[in-house]
Amino acid sequence: MKLNWSLFLQRFGLALVYVALAVALSLLSNRFLTLSNQVNIFRQATINGIVAVGMTLVILTAGIDLSVGSILALSAVVTADLLKQGVPVPFGVLVALALGALMGMVNGLIITRGKIPPFIATLGMLTVGRGLTLMYTQGKPFTGLPEAFRWLGTSSVMGIPMPIILAALVFAVTAIVLRRTRFGEYVYLIGDNPTAAHMAGINTRQIIVLVYMISGLCAALAGLILIARLDSAQPVIGSGYEFSAIAAVVVGGTSFSGGEGTLFGTLLGTLLIETLGNGLNLLNVSPLWEQVVKGVVIALALLFYQALNPSKK
Amino acid sequence: MRHSLLNFTRSNSGLVILLVLAIPLSLLSPDFLTGANLLTVALQVSMIAITAIGMTFALITGGVDLSVGAVAALTGALAAGLATSGGLGTYPALFLAMAAAAGVGLLNAALIVWGRIPPFVATLATMAAARGLTLVYTQGRPISGLDAQFTFWASNLGPIPVPIFVLIFVLILTYIILNRSLFGNYIFAVGGGEETSRLAGISPSRVKFGVYTISALCAGLTGLLLTARLWSAQPNSGTGLELDAIAASVLGGASLLGGAGSVTGAVTGAFIVGVLSNGLNLLEVPSYNQQVIKGLVFIVAVLLDYLLKRRLK
Repeated sequence: MKLNWSLFLQRFGLALVYVALAVALSLLSNRFLTLSNQVNIFRQATINGIVAVGMTLVILTAGIDLSVGSILALSAVVTADLLKQGVPVPFGVLVALALGALMGMVNGLIITRGKIPPFIATLGMLTVGRGLTLMYTQGKPFTGLPEAFRWLGTSSVMGIPMPIILAALVFAVTAIVLRRTRFGEYVYLIGDNPTAAHMAGINTRQIIVLVYMISGLCAALAGLILIARLDSAQPVIGSGYEFSAIAAVVVGGTSFSGGEGTLFGTLLGTLLIETLGNGLNLLNVSPLWEQVVKGVVIALALLFYQALNPSKK
Repeated sequence: MRHSLLNFTRSNSGLVILLVLAIPLSLLSPDFLTGANLLTVALQVSMIAITAIGMTFALITGGVDLSVGAVAALTGALAAGLATSGGLGTYPALFLAMAAAAGVGLLNAALIVWGRIPPFVATLATMAAARGLTLVYTQGRPISGLDAQFTFWASNLGPIPVPIFVLIFVLILTYIILNRSLFGNYIFAVGGGEETSRLAGISPSRVKFGVYTISALCAGLTGLLLTARLWSAQPNSGTGLELDAIAASVLGGASLLGGAGSVTGAVTGAFIVGVLSNGLNLLEVPSYNQQVIKGLVFIVAVLLDYLLKRRLK
C-alpha cells in the first residue's frame, strides 16, 4: 500500500502541484485564468521547452549540457547576420541548425573520445561559444530581420502562435523517437547501465554524440524562434538558459543518474516554472526574486524525487 | 634521463606550463617582466587563487562547487550593505557576511549529503539562489561608500597589495589542514573511495560538510577582497569565477574524479590563468577573443589532465 502511494506521487505528483498552483493563482489574481494570459504562458514557455527537450535526452544518458545558451546565441547571431546580408531564409535557418548540431557534436566527441565529464566539457563549450558570439558580433546586436523569417516567431495558425505549434511538434516528434525507436531504447539503456549497453553491442559513443547533437539542434531552433519574435539577435542572448532548461527537466522528474524520465514530465516542468514566473509577475513580486524562487524550486524538486526513491543513489 | 624529465613534468606540470607561458611573454612584451606588472598579476591572481584553494577541497572529495562566484557576490554585497546602510561596524559586517557564506556552504553539504543530490546540481541550485538573493539585496545596484577599514583590505602595504598577504595566510592555513591534519587525510580518503573510507571508520558526510564550508568560506573571502578592491559591491561580481577556479585547480593537478589535488597546485594553476589573461591584455588581444582563448585553455588543461593520468597507468 505504501509503495503504491509513493508510485502515485511519482507519477502524478507534478500534475497535482501544477493544478494546485493554477487554482491558487486563479484565486489570487483574476487575470491569471484569462485566455490571453494562458496563451502568453505557453508562448513564453516555448523557448525553454524546446531547449529542455534536448536537455532531457542528454540527462537521460546521465549527462548534462551547460552549453545550450551559448549554442543558441552563436547560431542565432550568425543566422541573423546572414539574413541581413540577404541570404534566402531557408538557407539561413539551415545554417543555424547545422551550426547547433555541429557544436553539439563537438561536445559529444570531447565527452566520448576525450573521456571528459559532460559538465566540464560543456562548461568549456559555454565559454568558447559565448566568446565566439561576442567576437562575431563585436558586442553589437543585429536588428531588423526580414519579414519572411520573422514569420517563425510572430505568425499564428487558427489563433495558435507559431512558436507553440513548433514546440508541440518538437515535443511530439522527440517523444515518438524516444518511445518507438531503437535509438530511444538505447538512450534509456545507456543512462541506466552504460556497461550493459556496451556489452549488448550498442555503439554507446555514437548514441551519446547524437544526443548532444540533438541538444545543440534544439538550442539552435529555440534561438531562431527567439530572434524571430524579438526581431533582434543580442550577443548576450540565451545566457542562463541552461539553468532554466535543467530546472524544467529536473522538476519534470528526470533522474540525474540517467535512464529515468519522460518528455511529458519535462513539458509539465516547463509549464510549471513558467506559470510560477507568471504568477509572481501577476502578484507584483519583484522580478529580482525570480531567480531565488527558481533555485529553491529546483532544490525542492530534487529532494522530493530523492525522498520518493530512496533506493536509488 | 628522458623518463625522469617526463616524471618531473607530470608532477610539476603546473610550474612547467607557467614557465612555458612566461618565457615567450617576457620576450614578446617588454612590460611583462616588470615589478609593477607582476604585482598587478599577483593581485588579480590572489582572488582566483583563494577561490581555487577552496574548490580544490571540493574536487578532492570527487565533488565540485559551482556556487563560488555567487557566494562571492553575496558575501561582498552583504558585507558592504551591513557596513554602510546597515549601520554595523566594518568588522561585525565582515564577520556576519562570512557567516552567511559558511551558511551557503553548509546548505550545499546538506543538499549533497542528506538530499543525496549530485554536487554539481546541488551547487547549481544554490548558485542561482545566492545570485538571486544578491540581486534582491542590492536591488540590482552597486553598494558603495565603504570606509577606510574596509578598503584597507585591497590597499598596499609598502609595494605589496594586502590581498597577496591574505592569499599567503590562506595558503599556509589550508596547507596545514590538508597535509598536516587528520581531517586532511580523511578528505583524501573520501576522494579515494567513499566505501573504503567508511569501512575505515571515517564519516564521509562530516568530511563533506567540512569541505563545502571551506569552499564557501574561501569564496566569501574572495568576495570581500573583490568588494574592497572595487570600493563597492557589484551585484554581478564573481560571475564566471567558478570556471576560473575549476580551471586553476585542475591545472594545478586536482582531478575531477577526486582523490588528487593540492593547495599549492591550485595557486600555481591560478597563476597560469592570471598570467594568461595578463599576457593577452599586454599583447592587446581584444577582450572578446580572450574569452574564447580562456575556454580553449580550460578544455585543453582538462584533456591534458586525463591524457597524463592515462599514460601513468
